[in-house]
Amino acid sequence: MGETLLLRSLRYLPLVWAAIRRKPMRAVMTLLAVTVAFTVFGLMIGFSATIDGVEQRARADRMFSSARFGYDDGLPVAVAHRIAGLSGVRQTTVSSYIPGYVRDQKNHVFIGMADASYVKVFPDWNVSQAVWDMVQHDRTGIVMSRLQAELWHKKAGDSFTVIAPARTKADGTTSWTFKVLAISEDFPLAPAGIILGNYDYLDKSLPPDKQGRVNEVDLVTSDPALSPRIAQEIDRMFANSSSPTQTEIEKMALAVSNNFGGMDVNLLTHEIALAGLSMILFLTANVIAQSVRERFAEFATLRALGYGDGAVIGLVVLEAAVPCLAGAGLGVALAAFLAHHIQSIMPPSFGVPMPTMSAAVYAGAVASAFVLAFASAALPAIRLMRMNIATALSRRA
Amino acid sequence: MSMLRQIVIVSALNFRSLRARLWQSLVIVVGMACVIGVLLSMLSMTEGLHSAYRNTGDPRDVFVISAGALWDGAGSIPRDQARIIMDTPGIARAPDGSAIADPGLYVNVPVRLRKNGARSWINIRGMGPKGELLRPEFHLVAGRMFHPGSHELIVGIHARDQFQGASLGDKMILPDGAWPIVGVYATGDLRDGELFGDTATLMLSVRHKVYNSVLLRLASPDGLSAFRKALKTNPALNVDVMPLHEWNEKLIADFAQFMRIIVYGVGILLAIGALFGCFNTMYSAVSARKSEIATLRALGYGGFAVAVSVMLEAAMLSVAGAMIGAAFAWSRYDGVIDGFGSDIFRMIVSPAMIGIGLLWAVAVALLGGILPSVQAARRPVSDALRAT
Repeated sequence: MGETLLLRSLRYLPLVWAAIRRKPMRAVMTLLAVTVAFTVFGLMIGFSATIDGVEQRARADRMFSSARFGYDDGLPVAVAHRIAGLSGVRQTTVSSYIPGYVRDQKNHVFIGMADASYVKVFPDWNVSQAVWDMVQHDRTGIVMSRLQAELWHKKAGDSFTVIAPARTKADGTTSWTFKVLAISEDFPLAPAGIILGNYDYLDKSLPPDKQGRVNEVDLVTSDPALSPRIAQEIDRMFANSSSPTQTEIEKMALAVSNNFGGMDVNLLTHEIALAGLSMILFLTANVIAQSVRERFAEFATLRALGYGDGAVIGLVVLEAAVPCLAGAGLGVALAAFLAHHIQSIMPPSFGVPMPTMSAAVYAGAVASAFVLAFASAALPAIRLMRMNIATALSRRA
Repeated sequence: MSMLRQIVIVSALNFRSLRARLWQSLVIVVGMACVIGVLLSMLSMTEGLHSAYRNTGDPRDVFVISAGALWDGAGSIPRDQARIIMDTPGIARAPDGSAIADPGLYVNVPVRLRKNGARSWINIRGMGPKGELLRPEFHLVAGRMFHPGSHELIVGIHARDQFQGASLGDKMILPDGAWPIVGVYATGDLRDGELFGDTATLMLSVRHKVYNSVLLRLASPDGLSAFRKALKTNPALNVDVMPLHEWNEKLIADFAQFMRIIVYGVGILLAIGALFGCFNTMYSAVSARKSEIATLRALGYGGFAVAVSVMLEAAMLSVAGAMIGAAFAWSRYDGVIDGFGSDIFRMIVSPAMIGIGLLWAVAVALLGGILPSVQAARRPVSDALRAT
């Protein structure tokens, strides 16, 4: 027979559909259980996909230098000038941050205050040169990414006030009022979104003894292959100075193994997804076994009519595959929906990477659904292959 | 026949026929084992971390830090302000009459984890003359105490085990050179994942001109509001004053909320899946025993007794599964030392958590078993008998 598997499956579909409809309640419950298991699967594998994506997107030619002993104290800005002079360093930028809160201490907010070359070092952060020029010309200007703008209900032109006791100004006040100049698009490396402002404004507003310091010197090298050597060179250069540095290459800093305090997140998410699937495997296997047991005579009739082993097995596998595949599709779709809404229930400004339903997640779900269907159908199918038609027919169900 | 007696008899009958429905019944057992196994495994980490934060310090311990600081390192308290804070009335006194207070210094130093070489950081805290008085739980387990004024460190037992280069005899690189680790201590709280050195010497080494915070013990736990008022109304100071445990809660609050959403979110989703499985199983159990139930009803057993027996069966299977899941989580994670960044803590699967797991199991069984049990009780006797 030259028929493709698909065509044959389609021909069997009415038979399978009739089998499923025999016990509609059971079919619906099975579908729902499979859907829920695949929702968990989608969220977990989707989360893995996100952090893998972050690692892949992280750049090997970009690195961050900060104070080795006390990030908060920062480095003298002169460190940046010496780093910029190193061979192989293409561009440097300096930044400090303002840690504060909006209205209530619970509403943490972090504003990165950076110099003019920031967007040249971070071109992938979706802040255009034009917008950044505006921020550099308007001292109190900031650019907010969409997630942050939604969190604080801000749009371009609004003002934004942050209380930052850790950044007390020279005049003794701790309140910083900014003007939102533009809204930028978010990007995977910053799951909570970003707010960027003008470094010079921060620096000049601080008391004289706190001026001239930066939390970070970020740089890009002319060749990723040079990065490890340059990172070492920077740290060696300042090792015996009054401001030792700690330089990290972005690719290393954002590696999955480094990202969650040493926790193996990928292992964790895969184990949870697997637990969900094994729970469901038991259910679907039982449902199929039961359904086949109930229709033993029916299958015997099919055999008597000349349906071969392959056809009968195909029927059983198909009957298992329908709820598995439908549940996988529904489950991952539900996971995608939930993933969109997780950020809104998380603590404000808590940077949680959201699960992404990449093509790999869908492919994984479909593959798992097939495995689930085959595993569930295996035992009943074997029993059907071994059955004695005469006995089966005589034993009226 | 009393209702209770009926329930007992019908349930006993159910359980006796369980073997015939073994594989179906296992759907509930395996389902709940997965749900509770995953739930408790995830909770073991969050509860362990949370309890490490909660259990740190004495209830009379008060933490003073710059107003609005979100973590230890962000605090900045100059020496003269620390003096004012330590001279404020209400602080417990040492036998020599001095205040039991210790201006704190907090430095973090990059290190690597032993288990996978991942980048992490380690906290080094300064300990002054009153440091040990403030930490009665502190004791050395190996080596000796650092000598005040010398370039020496002591390491907590968990830090020693988790981080590369943090064993007794190793040297930590600080800005002014290598500091040998001369002792190992245990406190039973988060400090076990850190190091201590002499505050004054450390400050010179890392070139900090200010303290980060002041830890002190009040003479009485009731003295907090008066003490706080004294500091808050002093124009020379701009600080937050709170019990140490409150500061610790604050440090972990956002992360704890995030973890709770993840853990319970995943747990609830899986439980819903198990609920459908439970429903399916009980539904087919009831329909498989259609004639048996009808016979019982014809003999005069009440519908209620039948319904209760179905629910009991579901609950028993579900609890059995939950216990398997709990046993898995307990044997794999309880007491395991784990680290999250610089926080090293002991994972916990406590009896209370297992109890919560069992309650979940009962809830799932009741929700999943209620419709099938009602159906079993309601079906007209004549229909059911004819159906065979």
